[in-house]
Amino acid sequence: MQVLRETNLQGLALAKKLGKKGTLELLAKRGLVGRGGASFPTHKKWERALSVKTNERFLICNADEGEPGTFKDKFLIKNNSETLIEGILIAAFVLDAKRCFIYLRAEYDSLRLELEKIIKKVLKKSKMKVSIEIVRGAGAYVCGEETAIIQSIMGRRGQPMEKPPYPTIKGLWGKPTVLNNVTTLTCVPQALLYEDWNPNYRLFSISGEVEHPGVYEWELGVKMSTILGTVKPKGKMKAMSFGCFGGIMPVYKSNRVSPALICDKNCHHGAYSLIFVGEKKNIVDVNLSMAKFYTYESCGKCTPCREGTIRLVELLKKIKSGQATNKDLKLLKELANHIQETSLCGLGASCGNHILTGMKNFKKDYKGFIKKK
Amino acid sequence: MKIKLNGKHLEVNGNKTILDICKDNGIKIPTLCYHKNLFPEARCRLCLVELNGKLVTSCSTKPIEGCKIVTKTKKILKARKMNMELMSPGISMDKLGNDFEARKIYEEVGLDNERFKPRKNYKVELGDSLVRDNNKCVNCGRCVQVCSKVQEVHAIDFASRAHNEHVTPYCEKTLAGVACIRCGQCLINCPVGAITEVSHLGKVETALKNKKKQVIVQTAPSIRAALGELFDMKTGSLVTGKMVTALRQCGFDKIFDVDLGADMTIMEESAELVRRIKSNETLPLITTCCPAWILMMEQSFPELIPNMSTCKSPHEMLGALIKSYYAKKAGIDSKDIIVVSIMPCVAKKFESTRPELYTDVDYVLTTRELGRLIKKRNIDFANLPDSEFDPTLGISTGAGDIFGTAGGVMEAALRTTYEVVTKKKLKKVEFKNLHEFKGIKEGSIKLRNKTIRYACANGGANIRELLKHKDDYDFIEMMACPGGCIGGGGQPIYFDDETLKLRSKALYKQDSKKELRKSHENPIVKEIYKKCLGEPGSKKAKKFLHTKYKKRSCF
Repeated sequence: MQVLRETNLQGLALAKKLGKKGTLELLAKRGLVGRGGASFPTHKKWERALSVKTNERFLICNADEGEPGTFKDKFLIKNNSETLIEGILIAAFVLDAKRCFIYLRAEYDSLRLELEKIIKKVLKKSKMKVSIEIVRGAGAYVCGEETAIIQSIMGRRGQPMEKPPYPTIKGLWGKPTVLNNVTTLTCVPQALLYEDWNPNYRLFSISGEVEHPGVYEWELGVKMSTILGTVKPKGKMKAMSFGCFGGIMPVYKSNRVSPALICDKNCHHGAYSLIFVGEKKNIVDVNLSMAKFYTYESCGKCTPCREGTIRLVELLKKIKSGQATNKDLKLLKELANHIQETSLCGLGASCGNHILTGMKNFKKDYKGFIKKK
Repeated sequence: MKIKLNGKHLEVNGNKTILDICKDNGIKIPTLCYHKNLFPEARCRLCLVELNGKLVTSCSTKPIEGCKIVTKTKKILKARKMNMELMSPGISMDKLGNDFEARKIYEEVGLDNERFKPRKNYKVELGDSLVRDNNKCVNCGRCVQVCSKVQEVHAIDFASRAHNEHVTPYCEKTLAGVACIRCGQCLINCPVGAITEVSHLGKVETALKNKKKQVIVQTAPSIRAALGELFDMKTGSLVTGKMVTALRQCGFDKIFDVDLGADMTIMEESAELVRRIKSNETLPLITTCCPAWILMMEQSFPELIPNMSTCKSPHEMLGALIKSYYAKKAGIDSKDIIVVSIMPCVAKKFESTRPELYTDVDYVLTTRELGRLIKKRNIDFANLPDSEFDPTLGISTGAGDIFGTAGGVMEAALRTTYEVVTKKKLKKVEFKNLHEFKGIKEGSIKLRNKTIRYACANGGANIRELLKHKDDYDFIEMMACPGGCIGGGGQPIYFDDETLKLRSKALYKQDSKKELRKSHENPIVKEIYKKCLGEPGSKKAKKFLHTKYKKRSCF
């Protein structure tokens, strides 16, 4: 795997040799984009934070990997944390950040002690005067959202804030703050160091009804049949879901997995966590269990998400019970759309996606429950 | 910055929010969680507009150069309606009181669909002065922000996530179990009436029906400047005469003026100040008219107890005098007297239950409760003739009137202290530096060879700020509510500082029109001291007019 290549602080040495500007230029040339799901060019994010004149900048490594079916960050922290810390140090060098944070998912606490040791070891080796603190989340899914992470680190209620101002301009304690995903930061030294580094490789977290779930690395545009051939599905696959938030779409064996194809089905690839659903499952059930997830994980700040998510569950339950009419189906669609359009943060903006795509791509499953007059 | 607002090209200030720009251009946008004095958290999502085709909340979004903003399309109206419907399922118009902000918004947005059933099932919390009903709450977060940012009390906050998110005191306790100071600012800022006062109205009505008891009512200075608002009169109308007439029609036997209690407070407090300066006792002396501030002090600053004046608050003083001086004078057994105070305050309800004070005043009504009583009796308030307080304990000075506004107690005390100490007439009765609408006001005055440095703070955050420099002063006035009693938790619900300014102006006007403007000139005050108490600070005065404080736990 490309992402497991070790760099032994050579990336940091190269960055120091190139200087800030040179490092940013090289990252741009190599085409490194954010691996958290938004695919924002990493060098641009850093440049934005650098454009603010200030005496202090912060770096946060987002290790609050809460999306159901995603476990690539856990895999990286377990298997290549030295490169990750090196990536953090390179970012700290470019941004002049004296304090860096790793916001670690509460459920990953078992990784903490080992990670702390590695931080100490790498820091000692690098001789950089930077502090890297591990901040543990309290188990909220919403704290993977960047503004919520900032609130949480500052000791406040983990709720997203309105953007703009973006964290790169005004983040932790009002200072410019860069948030990067674990995978992105791990890629930084590798991208700098290796000329054959391929920007199109992505980590896929595969789970669901397959024989071999786990983390795989493929190039974007990989054939569906390749994926299926490797992970060995248990029987015929009906659908695949991109985490909870990305939506759900049918499995086409002949297709290639690329952003264009996924967007074509109104889905969002996110961090490429694929949950496979077998043909015996009904999509309404899948949607219901996902909707339930959101009724616990919405932060409760804004009305549409707080009140809407629980109503979505109510409606889905009604549909499943066979009591629903076409009117309810219409309301379900309207409500899911409404939450997406009027919510404050990314959680709200995507929490109806699985229902909308489910209704669009698996009409039959929904129609089957509707009461006939 | 150039923008296009509803098809019109405009040149606007890019630092303003879209909501403010719309307001400047006469476009009305419904808002619920937005409050001028608070940070726009954009929780309710009612103020949606389209910015370049995307729905955004206007209260928290600033325009972008050359953007297109539309405020009224089918999509926007539908989205607002849906949010309203989600926020308050099952709330119908008739269940909602008239005085709450939400009613107007419901009417504006229109609430015709009721597709969702009410789902909240919280226990109503009945406290000693405030009632919290989370079932009515729409999670707008204004009470939380006022409590933590304006008052810096931090008694309530949100707990839990998602649909379980609710406002609650620390660890799901009751307000009485945490460091709540009962200022009632949460109530004033609640748009749906989920927080209300504990009503004493029923008990007062029962008392009024009891022929054997003499029910005496006393009204606080700030009521007269705000009561009219409940009857659609102009903000800042003075309704002293009408209020007295209405109280008489409601059946109260005697109507006294807390202004007189205020005058008594000044006599005692000023004597205490002079004594403390002369004998080098603890300074600064801090006023104790505000029960919310006293509670805050007992919970958070118990080390200040030696600094506190021992004077009771004005209505407790007058209550004590009614049950002693007046009872003796009128030949009534004090057990047959029921004293009702009309107060701008919910903390006074708590104060009247303090063991050391509970005999003085029996019931406390807020301005809003009085309004309800008057409406219940079908009295046409706006067209009532004027009448006077009962003279036995109803003559007061302008100094008493200004007690209702922040800085008033200080001004009244300075007027009396100056003249009593220097034996000279004040050249200018008004202290204009105390009339400003500001959180912290300060100044100094020369009394013979000693300069008295004084300061006033209103609003919890300002109190905390002033306490950081308390040793720079000799005399400090503290008021827990922004603007003083005119902005109290028992007053008619108000939305902006303009209302407070008008109410305060009305009180200053009443003061300026009075012939007697200094407490020590009040003939009744003189008579009470002559016939009953001796002189300010005497043993007898201490017994009736002074009290004590104790340290309280915050938890």
